[in-house]
Amino acid sequence: MQDVLTTCVYCGCGCGVYLQAENGRVVGSTASRNHPVSRNNLCVKGWHLHEFIHHPDRLTEPLIRKKGKLVPTSWDEALDYTAKELARIRDQTDNQGIGVLSSAKCTNEENYLLQKFTRAVLQTNNIDHCARL
Amino acid sequence: MAGLATTFGSGAMTNSINEIENAQVILVSGSNTTEAHPQIARRMLDAVDRGAKLIVIDPRKTLLAEFADIHLDIRPGTDIPLLNAMMRIILDENLVDDLFIEMRTENYYQLRDMLYRLDLDEAAKTTGVELSKIYKAAQLYAQAQKSVICYCLGITQHICGTRNVQSLANLAMMTGNVEKGDTGVDPLRGQNNVQGACDMGALPNVFPSYQPVGNIDFREKFEAAWKVNLPSKSGCTLMEMTHSGKDGPIRAMYIMGENPMLSDPVLSKVEETLRNLEFLAVADIFLTETAKLAHVVFPAASFAEKTGTFTNTERRVQMVRPAIAPIGNCRTDADIISALALRLGYAMDYDSPAEIMEEIAMLAPIYGGMQHDRLEACWGLQWPCWDRSHPGTQFLHKYYFTRGKGHFVPTEHEPPSEMPDKKYPFLLITGRIYHHYHTGTMTRKSSTLNRECNEALLQINQVDADQLKVRNGETLKVTSRRGEIKLTAEISEQVKPGSVYTTFHFAEAPINLLCIDTWDPLANCPEYKVCAVKVTKP
Amino acid sequence: MNDKLTLKKDHLPAFLRKLSKDYRLVAPIKNRHGDTIFTRIDSSNSASLDLDNQPQNSIKQFMLPQREVLFSYHAKTETGYEFNPTDQINEPTIFFGVRSCDLSAILYMDVTFLQGITDSHYLEKRTNSVFIGLNCNQPFANCFCNATKSGPFLEFGADLQFTDIGDRFLVEVGRSKGIKIVEKWGHFFSAAEEKENKQQYQAFLEARGSFTRLVHVDQAIKRLQENSVPEKVWNQLSLRCQDCGGCAYICPTCTCFTITDCPLTKNTGERIRSWDACTFSGFTRMTGGHNPVSKKTEAIRQRFMHKLCYDVKKHGRPSCVGCGRCVDICFGGTDILRFINLACEGS
Repeated sequence: MQDVLTTCVYCGCGCGVYLQAENGRVVGSTASRNHPVSRNNLCVKGWHLHEFIHHPDRLTEPLIRKKGKLVPTSWDEALDYTAKELARIRDQTDNQGIGVLSSAKCTNEENYLLQKFTRAVLQTNNIDHCARL
Repeated sequence: MAGLATTFGSGAMTNSINEIENAQVILVSGSNTTEAHPQIARRMLDAVDRGAKLIVIDPRKTLLAEFADIHLDIRPGTDIPLLNAMMRIILDENLVDDLFIEMRTENYYQLRDMLYRLDLDEAAKTTGVELSKIYKAAQLYAQAQKSVICYCLGITQHICGTRNVQSLANLAMMTGNVEKGDTGVDPLRGQNNVQGACDMGALPNVFPSYQPVGNIDFREKFEAAWKVNLPSKSGCTLMEMTHSGKDGPIRAMYIMGENPMLSDPVLSKVEETLRNLEFLAVADIFLTETAKLAHVVFPAASFAEKTGTFTNTERRVQMVRPAIAPIGNCRTDADIISALALRLGYAMDYDSPAEIMEEIAMLAPIYGGMQHDRLEACWGLQWPCWDRSHPGTQFLHKYYFTRGKGHFVPTEHEPPSEMPDKKYPFLLITGRIYHHYHTGTMTRKSSTLNRECNEALLQINQVDADQLKVRNGETLKVTSRRGEIKLTAEISEQVKPGSVYTTFHFAEAPINLLCIDTWDPLANCPEYKVCAVKVTKP
Repeated sequence: MNDKLTLKKDHLPAFLRKLSKDYRLVAPIKNRHGDTIFTRIDSSNSASLDLDNQPQNSIKQFMLPQREVLFSYHAKTETGYEFNPTDQINEPTIFFGVRSCDLSAILYMDVTFLQGITDSHYLEKRTNSVFIGLNCNQPFANCFCNATKSGPFLEFGADLQFTDIGDRFLVEVGRSKGIKIVEKWGHFFSAAEEKENKQQYQAFLEARGSFTRLVHVDQAIKRLQENSVPEKVWNQLSLRCQDCGGCAYICPTCTCFTITDCPLTKNTGERIRSWDACTFSGFTRMTGGHNPVSKKTEAIRQRFMHKLCYDVKKHGRPSCVGCGRCVDICFGGTDILRFINLACEGS
């Protein structure tokens, strides 16, 4: 069993929480005694942080819409198709027709990359996230 | 955010979470802190244990209000008249911090002139709170050496959200309760990394670190670093995108880890927009209501499967560390974006998230000294952190406001765009509950949390329940001019007669079908907190 | 425990290294974030053994994990359900540096899981465990094991019991598992001299006298038994309860669990046992929606009645070992010390 200190995702407090990993599964969550915010405790959401990670409904394969239905596909096909469509619509709308929603649940690094992608590659500032919701 | 940015120069929490427990007076407005920010509520209650005074402004009798010395149970949407009344009383009682106003602020006389025109009895009548209680609150707040204001979406999710925030800022500046430790104005950010997403420039008008896209100097800096020409025009906001409509200008969307099909107002409009896109790609960990409408869905790695950083509400940037490898065929969002960029002819060549953070530190001055190796060695750093020798910043605006001088913005009452009437006699307030988070994508999949709470309840006062002949647990139909949903009744003293309250976490009862699609024109924040509904037995 | 031995502190790392060759060795380790946690020791962290701070977790999680697979199932159309035991291997484990409170808690868990109906999952872990205890010369900030009679020195239950007497440990040998270890690694130990026995006794006396908290556990028990705790105490406590479940999760004797069937695919899945807390409303809510413990005050009352009253009646002692962990973990004002103080007020 390995305890990995990470940051809780369930609100803006930013508690430190140990995820317990065993054989590739996350099997528990516990508090950190010395963390400056959580100071040894967690709320009910933090104590059950591990429960959703291995839920059977997790998406594990890329999906693509074929004949109106979402069906599993390969990463290459999903990425190729997405890139092709984004390029087409970007060019057809003179860089105005694509909107991007970033995420307040993803990391800083990912938010940075997505806004860079939007601005540098899609050539638009149409990027936002649900800061106000 | 826009509110504090215009008055102080920065939209973030001025204090640290731990400072709250040292305050002498805590004014909490529009925040159900015990349920939405448990750690911050803990500091507040610890402070109360040590003798601090607590003032709660909330139309509902929340748990926190039970501990309050003064609970100002205002009519929803009347924060401005209340705060103006408090400031007028402070003025009359001569509790103004003249020296602070003189040295650190500007435009005070405009506020003062407006306050002198204010009729206190009229204001008290608008808010529905006795004047004597407002008096007591104003004195309490202004007389203490260290008073702190905490607010949340109950302040911002109004048509006048920005002006609500400006009023709170006025109150703090007028009494000199900013720029020091243990006292300030603290917006409590709801989502785990909403502060970070803003800091990173996931906004239509600014690059990372709030550098405006319209400014040629900043644009040239990013053009040089990214080796590409960049657009100068501000982009569309979230509401402009998701409400662009069937024939709107947005033809394609890429959505990373968001669920506008549950979180945005007037869901029918969102659905119409998303269904009519030529192309929609969604990256998420579950097949959300939004992902179900996509043309391509990417399986993303969860937070437990990746390295990176989150920025909490007190501006603390902390490490996220992987406990396991991505499950199944999942990839991290960073990998997905890089792969797409490469296919579109733009190489994003990073060996690791640490390398991305190095680039952020180069380009975003407030993150200047935040590299992973430093963050690994401590409990995170609070921005601004200008360079590698900087220890981070516990509280903002020390010696001077970020914008130079604090700017008073006099504000006047603006009623909510929809108030109860004969046809729709109830006022609907929405918010969060303890056991769930946001659209429930994660918490609803957690067996214990879902067991503890698995349905949306409609809080209704006993008086109204008697009139409707409704008992606890009965189903009720809630109708607004925009839609209807069914909810289970929970008779509660937390809401006053004439008001009902529920939450937006549940896909079975998407309350945002009912909410009004007006928003604050300055911050684009939807008016979630108030709309008129009819409550009937189905 | 008759044969007393000593082990020089200088030789402890070498002794532990030997043990870790035959066993999974679990001990309190101060990690790089500064938190002391019971963790598996290997060559990467053995230098960070921390016997000066109270580990923030107890060893409960190794005996009753937060989430444990009991068995897996496979629904087959022809033959009905097929059940398979878990492939979880319970390695022989030595727990080193276990304090008196935590070891007393294990003895308490034995009562829960081994008396009457035997819990095979617990039994297997228990059979494969060796406990090397460490007496407390100095109680930690929230400790009150003197009041629950579960410390600071333990009289029975450990396989080997260590006491810090300066430059060496005095080692008392308990059951056969302890004898086996001492026999195999005899060259680490010397027979204890009379002086060393006296030193241990002196340490015990000093430890007993250095508790900073005066906690009237017996009196609180009496008040609960007499049903004389005022209603306002329950109201006061329940108002501050944040419903996090932390007190039950961190408690070394709380054994409440819930069972969920967790599907893995369309027709396979696992039966999971996971920690639960008696203060959760879902813990007592029935399928039809009725909840016999529907109010927060009732749930809090139930918790303290169980720990300090029902268990005393049933087992002759409270199911609180005075480790003080729930005091630190509580969001504020609802922990057992606060309760005991409130209950004893005015008497």
